[in-house]
Amino acid sequence: MHGFIYDAPHDEIVVMSALAQAVLTFRGGANGEEPPVRVIQGPHTQIQGTPYGANAIVTVDPVNGEIYVPVVPNVILVFDRTANGDAAPKRILKGGPIDVSGQTGLSVDPVHNLLVVNARGAMYIFDRTASGDDQPKAVIRGPKSGMGNVHEFQVTSKGWLIAGGGDFAAGTGFVGAWSINDNGDVPPHWKIPVQQLTGYVPYSIVVDPVHQEMMMAAAGRSNKIRPSNGIMNTVLTFSWPEIF
Amino acid sequence: MRMGRIRLGKQGRRLLAGIAGLALGLFGLSLMQRSWRGSARLVSIQEMPEVGDSCYRPSEDSRPNSSPEHRLFTAFEPTTVHAQDNIGGVDLTRPPVRNIWDTAPTFSSVGVDAVRNEVYLQDSNRWSIRVFSRLDNAKPGDPPTEPRRVISGPASDVQFNSCVWVDPGSGEIYSVENDTGDSIVVFPNKATGDPEPLRKLKVTHRAQSMTIDDATGELFLSVQYPPQVVVYSKTASGNDKPVRLIEGPKTHFSDVHGIAIDTRNKLLYVTNWGNVSDYKVAGSGRFEPPSISVYPTTADGDTAPLRTIQGPKTQLDWPGAMSVDADTGDLYVANDVDQSIIVFHRTDQGDVAPARVIKGPKTHLSYPAGVFVDSKNKEVWASNLGNSSATVYPVMANGDVAPRRIIRGAEENKRSLRFGKTEALAYDSKREQILVPN
Repeated sequence: MHGFIYDAPHDEIVVMSALAQAVLTFRGGANGEEPPVRVIQGPHTQIQGTPYGANAIVTVDPVNGEIYVPVVPNVILVFDRTANGDAAPKRILKGGPIDVSGQTGLSVDPVHNLLVVNARGAMYIFDRTASGDDQPKAVIRGPKSGMGNVHEFQVTSKGWLIAGGGDFAAGTGFVGAWSINDNGDVPPHWKIPVQQLTGYVPYSIVVDPVHQEMMMAAAGRSNKIRPSNGIMNTVLTFSWPEIF
Repeated sequence: MRMGRIRLGKQGRRLLAGIAGLALGLFGLSLMQRSWRGSARLVSIQEMPEVGDSCYRPSEDSRPNSSPEHRLFTAFEPTTVHAQDNIGGVDLTRPPVRNIWDTAPTFSSVGVDAVRNEVYLQDSNRWSIRVFSRLDNAKPGDPPTEPRRVISGPASDVQFNSCVWVDPGSGEIYSVENDTGDSIVVFPNKATGDPEPLRKLKVTHRAQSMTIDDATGELFLSVQYPPQVVVYSKTASGNDKPVRLIEGPKTHFSDVHGIAIDTRNKLLYVTNWGNVSDYKVAGSGRFEPPSISVYPTTADGDTAPLRTIQGPKTQLDWPGAMSVDADTGDLYVANDVDQSIIVFHRTDQGDVAPARVIKGPKTHLSYPAGVFVDSKNKEVWASNLGNSSATVYPVMANGDVAPRRIIRGAEENKRSLRFGKTEALAYDSKREQILVPN
């Protein structure tokens, strides 16, 4: 499973069922073989993936009550949070040069009303309600930015965009903080050189504002990018008060 | 000026009450609308950290909604946040405060070499193949079982290893790679350490399980998605093409996992998890109940199953690996989430209950993902994801039976994290729990 998110205000877990073209919503306290409370699936949904990546990613804006799903061919579908069954998206954003697929990383910042899209080493910052052919307000990319390809990343309420970056093959993988006001080839304002410190490279990132911590899921990436301690799967927690 | 007292009649009082009610309603509606429209709103409150005299300054950014100052609740106003101009790229070389990991191996698959009396366990947590004596048995109080050999390391290319197979004739060890490596690697029987593979065969993405038909020398490979069964020569390597490819809507394949061959009766068995979609068609996804579908071993192209085992009586629940008892034709299934080994007869079909079910606390089964029938020694093995162990039972075992022997990769009563690939993450702030999908 590559994509899921916890919706705190509604105490729900939203999961992308990658091989069945479905968005599943569970109770926050779900346990065992408990069925979802809602399932978005069917021809009107327009959910479609690729043979390699299927449909891996979903994210939720719990404040505005919307679910975002990146799909082929190159669009981001937006559903109402309470959609159930064969529901059509309420809004569609075309990806333009992004080449959106089922594995494109997404995050919504409801505080600043932004939709952030990660693809091919770039962060595209849109207005949250962008649709159709709307263009991004800014694009962070370039060698100085170190921006990587990440499935899950977050924007803090202070406007810090927390995501993985760096050259994993070269051993310089990090988790960085960019500003939502950044544009162009801008280096992160802070970065934790996680690969140098731990041997792990980031797959997904979440933040905990209450405890001012960042959590990072890491797994062996490939035969060449693997932690030297031989333990391939881990979740690491870092203290990071600067971004909160 | 003298202020007089105004006396309102009944009608006047009603009018005043109505106006007051309307005012209250409008005010409340305004609050509600503000909370449901797109403007910034309170989503969290945190105590500000002590940061000394630092103040945010407006940048040269000409975007609208810039604010010249920041206060505690500035983040909740419709203004953008500006990074401190003097921060630059600061490296924070602080180690993690906590880590969650499992240091023990996680046994995802089991293979047995009855000729050499060895058991091969696929460890997907530490990317290794661990070889034990078939007769190893960790008694209560014993330390973890010491493997005879361990194959692991970058040269070996063992990664995301989901299935292991040992050729009874040559003793060669086959390992399937389920994710980024997209390959099958083959080692000589006595391989140990970090050797380069004898052969490496490039296969399609999401290869899951394999079996070899000793009679024909063919290797059958199950692929989760797009669902298919690919047949190679067992000596294939590099970019060698398959000799047959079974795929298409008539197959009823759906998120294919386990695979097994009945060599004597020339039957191919496949487990399906029921997640269906055609990646070429938007919105074509659906869920079906899990099933076992049966084909002739010579199947090719879009072949319908000879029969299907499916339905609530079957007890199928994330059915993983399968293995056939060559003597009886019985089909053994590692029934992962049900924490059982279930057995069907060769001719079973439809909504049929298993002939035997190994399940219960005495069995020591814990999320068994792998199963292997050693027909020579009349035993059935399970590899347990949930407790870093492999357990073996008499081939006719039924019910809550204790294993004959246990191979342990960790201490007694181990509860594994069952991390398969920690690629996603969520934080439940209400319960202060970290959610990690497998």
